[in-house]
Amino acid sequence: MDIFGSFALLLAFLTAVYAFVAGIIGIVTRRVLLTKSARNAGMAVFGLVTLAVATLEYFFFTDDFSLAYVAAHSNRALPLYYKFSSLWAGQEGSLLWWSWLLSIYVFFALFLNRKRHPELMPYVGVTLAGVQIFFLTLNNFVASPFHVIAGADGGGVLRLAKLADGSGLNPLLQYPEMVIHPPMLYLGYTGFTIPFAFAMAALLGRYPGEKWIHITRRWTMVAWCFQSIGVLLGAHWAYAVLGWGGYWAWDPVENAALLPWITGTAFLHSVMMQEKRGMMKVWNVWLVFVTFMLCILGTSLTRTGIVSSVHAFAESNIGPYFFGFLGIVLLVCLAAWYKNRDYLRSDNQLDSLVSRESSFLFNNLILLAACFAVLWGTLFPVISEAVAGNKISVGPPFFNKVEVPIALFLLFLTGVGPLLAWRKTSVDALKRNFAWPGVGGLAAGAVAFALGWRDFYPLVCVILSVFVALTILAEFYRGARVISSRDGSNILTAVGELTMRNTRRYGGYVVHFAMVMIFVGIAGSAFNQDIQKELNVGQSMAIGPYTILCQNFDQPSNDNYQSERATIEVFRNGKSRMMLYPERRLFRASGVTETIVANQSTPVHDLYVVYAGRSPDTNLPVIHAYLNPLVKWIWFGGIVLVLGTILAMIPDRRAALVLRAATDRPWAGEAAPNPVVSGPIHRTGSDD
Amino acid sequence: MNPNRNARNFLKTHDRSTFYSTIIRGVSAARITLVLALLSCAFAPASRADNAERAKALSKKVMCMCGGCNDTAGTCNHTGGAFSGPCDTAKAMQKEVADRVARGDSDDLILQSFVQEYGPTVLPEPPKKGFTWLVWVMPILAPLIAFYLIWEVVRRWRRQTLAPAGGPPISPELLDRARREADRESDE
Repeated sequence: MDIFGSFALLLAFLTAVYAFVAGIIGIVTRRVLLTKSARNAGMAVFGLVTLAVATLEYFFFTDDFSLAYVAAHSNRALPLYYKFSSLWAGQEGSLLWWSWLLSIYVFFALFLNRKRHPELMPYVGVTLAGVQIFFLTLNNFVASPFHVIAGADGGGVLRLAKLADGSGLNPLLQYPEMVIHPPMLYLGYTGFTIPFAFAMAALLGRYPGEKWIHITRRWTMVAWCFQSIGVLLGAHWAYAVLGWGGYWAWDPVENAALLPWITGTAFLHSVMMQEKRGMMKVWNVWLVFVTFMLCILGTSLTRTGIVSSVHAFAESNIGPYFFGFLGIVLLVCLAAWYKNRDYLRSDNQLDSLVSRESSFLFNNLILLAACFAVLWGTLFPVISEAVAGNKISVGPPFFNKVEVPIALFLLFLTGVGPLLAWRKTSVDALKRNFAWPGVGGLAAGAVAFALGWRDFYPLVCVILSVFVALTILAEFYRGARVISSRDGSNILTAVGELTMRNTRRYGGYVVHFAMVMIFVGIAGSAFNQDIQKELNVGQSMAIGPYTILCQNFDQPSNDNYQSERATIEVFRNGKSRMMLYPERRLFRASGVTETIVANQSTPVHDLYVVYAGRSPDTNLPVIHAYLNPLVKWIWFGGIVLVLGTILAMIPDRRAALVLRAATDRPWAGEAAPNPVVSGPIHRTGSDD
Repeated sequence: MNPNRNARNFLKTHDRSTFYSTIIRGVSAARITLVLALLSCAFAPASRADNAERAKALSKKVMCMCGGCNDTAGTCNHTGGAFSGPCDTAKAMQKEVADRVARGDSDDLILQSFVQEYGPTVLPEPPKKGFTWLVWVMPILAPLIAFYLIWEVVRRWRRQTLAPAGGPPISPELLDRARREADRESDE
């Protein structure tokens, strides 16, 4: 069986090489059949990698511990769904998983465009094949998941061996979110390959206009959405499972996931400059290039342990491969840009400094500043050791000091930018759009101050959050009011109608709103409290408005783990409010302990109780309680963010209406001399 | 009462200089109160609770040097270990901080002694001097440079916009392109 898997992988590698070489020859000699064949090869890689993945899963599901990878990451007692997710629990499997997700994207990108863009697609295919070759090289020759176990028999002859049981999945990964988080994050990482390939193709093939941006808009949003989900799920996992009371520690691997997300966000905004005004072409191409390179860098930071990280997934020798590949990508990008730079000249100029254009420039500047600071802080220990020879740590305080002001400025732009008109915004429009949100924000700040939020940054965050939320609500309200006054529908129907007519714009607003919620949740962390105490049965401690009384300790167990559990009664104002059961599980197969946090989460705060185990000194049980305000808003915000992104990907309803107007009759009885341009487009003070 | 109207009424009945000196007096009174408050903090006998708070805050300013975690001594929390609380190294470091705080050492002195003992990796924030100064400066410097570059680009764009004023008559192609662009911009 293992032969089957490794053979499929090898074939996948060869097929990718064929797609690459035949694609190039097809482009150079202009042979259509060869180009087609290369494309089909690119799609076939998907089938072959799928076979390899299926083979590996088969080993996991049948508890066949003759493969080293399976023996190291699974055991018989493991629940079935964790056997499935064990596939990406280690180095080799993760890289295979990368290849597989990438091959899915590649398949769909090639398949959906098989009859479109005949000038562009051959270049896209070659670029994609190039990336696939790199990862399949790793899968085949550097980190193959199909290594078998062999042992020497009595005569010293090596024979294939099969273990009776595996050493089990890391218990920290035995959590439902860990079944979803890595695939999401990897779908983000791999997904940015598609816009990268299209940008590279447009540049190499000198494909005219903004086409590549139109084609890749949804692809980019899909990748961005997955990356957002991946980052947020990771944060939630750290919060719910690791039991240290926080969700973000500025760990190198966390930062690595954040970097392409930031540049991807910048790209999603700056493409509008190119679509609407034909500006920032060079910038957009480079943003995509950088985003892709950061994805590769992120994967390598996660996989190679080059920067020391608590995510000790792997410390291995594949670093040089990744950095070699990064170097090649950078060189190809530079060469492609240098050769075709004349093609990227801007069509337009900036008319006014107070305009949508300049707000996008600022948005991109600030996003890239944020990205740079994270990257710089993450890599600085390595740089410092290499250049100055001294080891240093760059910890969370550094990132908080640097990133918080940047993020708040970005939040400010989120409120201001979308309301500035293209080309030029009048002073009147500024007053009209910002007066009430500004007043609302300051009022909220005053209330927060009165309620005891006295720290500078959280206070600014509250003011800005309310300001941005109000500008967004005002946008919906203004637009909906015009529609409802025109066709007499009620305001809520009109909001729906408005949104569906321009999903991209209003979906974008929903995503902005989600970001506001996330910011509010993060601001709460300035007011976290915690207390750690030895608590025997019958003893209690106080945190915030709560009193925690320890009722009992017991030891529930099963085949997979044995456990120690505290039963805790929580009082508020002298009244019993709830029971919590924080727990520690000792997993039998791996001998690793895991905390099961008891978290009572409300929109106001989380009461987060950890059973820390027995104190090594006194052997008394130790309870660690945290009171974390507003955390839930982060997870709410994540859900809203996904909904907003999906909304922005739905095609506008307007298009259908315009078509009908053009073929059928003027829309809603209005005389429409030129229906195609005078469709039922509603406008407010600014346009998108 | 509207405070503005108050001030205006005040100005009607008093001359301006009295008005400002009243304000200044108000401000300096506030300042004296503040200084007094700070002084009272400084000279208040360092209670045990204050010391504990200070020690807790300080222990979060040194990394736990056990090598197995990436936490500060104050937040060390070995998840997945036998006991998810501070490890022995972290506890020893916490105790050292507490002892030195009790002895009355200043924050700087305490941090310095840790650097002497463990080297600069003990600080989660790199010191703002020598080579590590760069880690602090670059996140400020880089956006400023980028801002300057953007500013230059914007200025060039603006100059190009201003140039064709009063130039040759508009060609039909240009007009056509402008129309197409207007269509495209009003597309969404």
